[in-house]
Amino acid sequence: MKLRKFSTAKVATIAIMVVAAVLVAGCGSLGSDQNTFSPSGEVAQKQLDLFLIVLVPAVIILIGVFGAMLYIFIRFRRREGDGIPKQIEGNNRLEIGWTILPTILLLGLAVPTIMSVIELGGSPDDDALGVRVIAQRWDWAFDYTDPEYLDADGRPLSTKELYIPIDRDIDFDLEALDVIHSFWVPKLAGKQDVMPGRTNRIWFNATETGVFQGQCAEFCGIGHAGMRFTTTALEPAQFDACLAAIAANGEDPLPAECVP
Amino acid sequence: MASIAIERPIPTLGQALRQMREAGGSYQGIWSWLTTVDHKRIGVMYGATAMFFFVVGGIEALIIRLQLARPESTLVDADQFNRLFTMHGTTMVFLVIMPLSAAFFNLVIPLMIGARDVAFPRLNAFSYWMFLFGGMLMMASFFTGNPAGSFLEGHLGAPDGGWFGYAPLTLNQFSPGTGIDYWAFGLLILGIASMAGGFNFAVTIINMRAPGMTFFRMPVFVWMTLVTSFLIIFAMPIITVALFQILFDRLFGANFFNVGAGGTPLLWQHMFWLFGHPEVYILILPAMGIISEVLPTFSKKPLFGYPFVVFSGIAIAFMSWGVWAHHMYTTGLGSVANSAFGISTLLIGVPTGIKVFNWLATLWGGSISFKTPLLFAVGFIAMFTIGGLTGVMHSIVPTDYQQQDTYFVVAHFHQVLVGGSLFGLFAGVYYWFPKFSGKFMSEKLGQLHFWTMFAGFNLTFQPMMIVGLMGMIRRTSTYEADLGYGLWNMMSTVGAFLIAFSVFVFLVNVVVSMRSGKQAGDDPWDGRTLEWSMSSPPPVYNFATIPEVKSLDPVWHDKYVENEAGETVPVVAGAANGHKEEGHEEEGHSVHLPSPSIIPLIASIGPPILAAGFIYWDNPWMLPLIPVGAVILLVGVFAWALEPTTE
Repeated sequence: MKLRKFSTAKVATIAIMVVAAVLVAGCGSLGSDQNTFSPSGEVAQKQLDLFLIVLVPAVIILIGVFGAMLYIFIRFRRREGDGIPKQIEGNNRLEIGWTILPTILLLGLAVPTIMSVIELGGSPDDDALGVRVIAQRWDWAFDYTDPEYLDADGRPLSTKELYIPIDRDIDFDLEALDVIHSFWVPKLAGKQDVMPGRTNRIWFNATETGVFQGQCAEFCGIGHAGMRFTTTALEPAQFDACLAAIAANGEDPLPAECVP
Repeated sequence: MASIAIERPIPTLGQALRQMREAGGSYQGIWSWLTTVDHKRIGVMYGATAMFFFVVGGIEALIIRLQLARPESTLVDADQFNRLFTMHGTTMVFLVIMPLSAAFFNLVIPLMIGARDVAFPRLNAFSYWMFLFGGMLMMASFFTGNPAGSFLEGHLGAPDGGWFGYAPLTLNQFSPGTGIDYWAFGLLILGIASMAGGFNFAVTIINMRAPGMTFFRMPVFVWMTLVTSFLIIFAMPIITVALFQILFDRLFGANFFNVGAGGTPLLWQHMFWLFGHPEVYILILPAMGIISEVLPTFSKKPLFGYPFVVFSGIAIAFMSWGVWAHHMYTTGLGSVANSAFGISTLLIGVPTGIKVFNWLATLWGGSISFKTPLLFAVGFIAMFTIGGLTGVMHSIVPTDYQQQDTYFVVAHFHQVLVGGSLFGLFAGVYYWFPKFSGKFMSEKLGQLHFWTMFAGFNLTFQPMMIVGLMGMIRRTSTYEADLGYGLWNMMSTVGAFLIAFSVFVFLVNVVVSMRSGKQAGDDPWDGRTLEWSMSSPPPVYNFATIPEVKSLDPVWHDKYVENEAGETVPVVAGAANGHKEEGHEEEGHSVHLPSPSIIPLIASIGPPILAAGFIYWDNPWMLPLIPVGAVILLVGVFAWALEPTTE
């Protein structure tokens, strides 16, 4: 008897501690450079919105299930002198209910999901900036394929870090030269794999200037952890100046025009 | 016709016992274990071997956690780290959870359906030995691939491609050495073990049920074993084909995945996940079956909505074939494919939810004893619910673009496979231990085990959700300090050691309880299914008289009846529900039991030797291993077919 009460209290304490820790964590860490909770672009914002749309019912269901469990543990704990409980084998109405309601809820979630899959899978704006991303163990290269960005030799400008103008869609062609990599700037958009032998596409934009961390997300060998890059989002005029400066003098040291 | 063999029907068995003694039944030495075809002993061997591999995989996990506890750590280098996480994942999936489930299939299924053994006892032994040797072959990779000096000087030679081994990273040019070859051959051999087991239990359950045990009088654990067996039968050939492809690329220069020569990396992903997602349900359905037995017993109520729990298990199994591409949303399959697989993944949440609701309804109105098996079972429900809900989040394709390959995914599948499968399997250990040892496991140590594991589990994996959403990628050998992941990773590491402590407590509990556990009677939990009708431990022959089954939960209905007032009351001693009849034990006929045989062990030595020959086939000294292994296997198979029976 004593032991059982103790257990229930323990369940409650631990559950509350965990929930509290998670909440504190979620709010307390928004400053990180790779945090998907503080988007700086429209695509990442849309993906966060969808996450919150599913998070709310998920948390409600979780609280419901945990609450029901706690109630059951307290209310239906075996007590001394208890007889045999009523042998209930089922209830068809309940079964139909908890089959249909989740189906409706889940199919309801499918609507915004598919709408944004199609939107994100579609084409960027017509004035999008074209960038070819080349991934090779364990480095990135970014080629500016639009004719106005040429290097000193008159070839498309190629950089080791990514520079983009804000408020303009960037249209990426992704190519890998060896194994599978994945192109990811968490604050701007979800990832897209970079596959050898095929060209994948992704587009996104930045809505504010800044330097955002990017990283290869698909395991690619011993250099995987270090296969990182930065994305510098600049005002459009400064972006043009930055690329011109890089074309003239290279990225190292970084030209002053490229600092947001 | 015996109602249920609640009394120990020894009498007419003198002849049977004599025969078994001749066949080695009473002999306990090492030879008896090497030659055993008794499903109970094979189950014990499966369980013990899986626990050994669990400790190995756990040590790998602890090294990984130590490395990640602090940013920019250099405890192990990236190469060793990659080999460790590859082996951790492969070990836990193929050498721990699958064989632990197989241990319960072996121990419990024949008893639950009222059979004397499985349909193919020697094939069953062969399954175990193939599992053992496949696992050992894979582990052997740790001791290979090092420079000529000492093992400690060089890198460990284990596979380094991750547990899902994405091509082309696993091709020779990117993963030189023999690690991936060991991995692939190890998985092929384990696949044979699983296939043999799958067929064995499907045939056993379909053909060997006691009279009266219709499909819908089968316990849910039997149902889930049947469903899992079919999943294994259909899933294993797919991974087998994929492994042959990668081995052809690596050993013989074929071009399945080599892009430079026109190969297709995506082919591997389709093959692997078409196997891999049903595999996930192969890992969880047996645990769901176990807790569907534990919850009714400890709340003294029948399972709520039995047919719905059964059908939702079948529905999950069918749907598991249509969700594989949700592992591949970011590979560029296009909006239509991503939408379709998003919907199928959302919908697989429906039967999963039905199970959770029915388990809760089983507890509702019950009289719940909080013994260790029940704690693990309700721990399963709680943790699996989180795992299921995070799974729903992954089906929201655009949010998955953010979560894919991050620690959020790592947290999700550990939530399902540790908080789910492993908790369920531990519930099973505590539940059935008294049946097979005759003794209780210590309740005190059991409670300590559960609470430290539960706390350690949450401390380890909930912070992973946070760092995942903060953008920490999985399989990263380290991370930079300014990303702010340090605190969360430190929490995970502390939690991992708490889990390790809990497992230590468990192992101590097993040893202590085996030696000096409290005596458990034949029916210590007031059970409902046939295994509780026999002695603890059960006799070698299981049932002297095959019982006749008249209902679901037959043992319960032999003990309790409804009185005129509609209350459930114990049967008055000796009255036995009005249908107590003597079994018609056929005088002069002995119980037919399969004879022990060494041949399954001999036959299973062949495949790993064959594999070693292929792994080193460019070395003329190793090449002869190929014919040697092949001959051993062939001789074993023929000897098997021609082996005389004892009669």
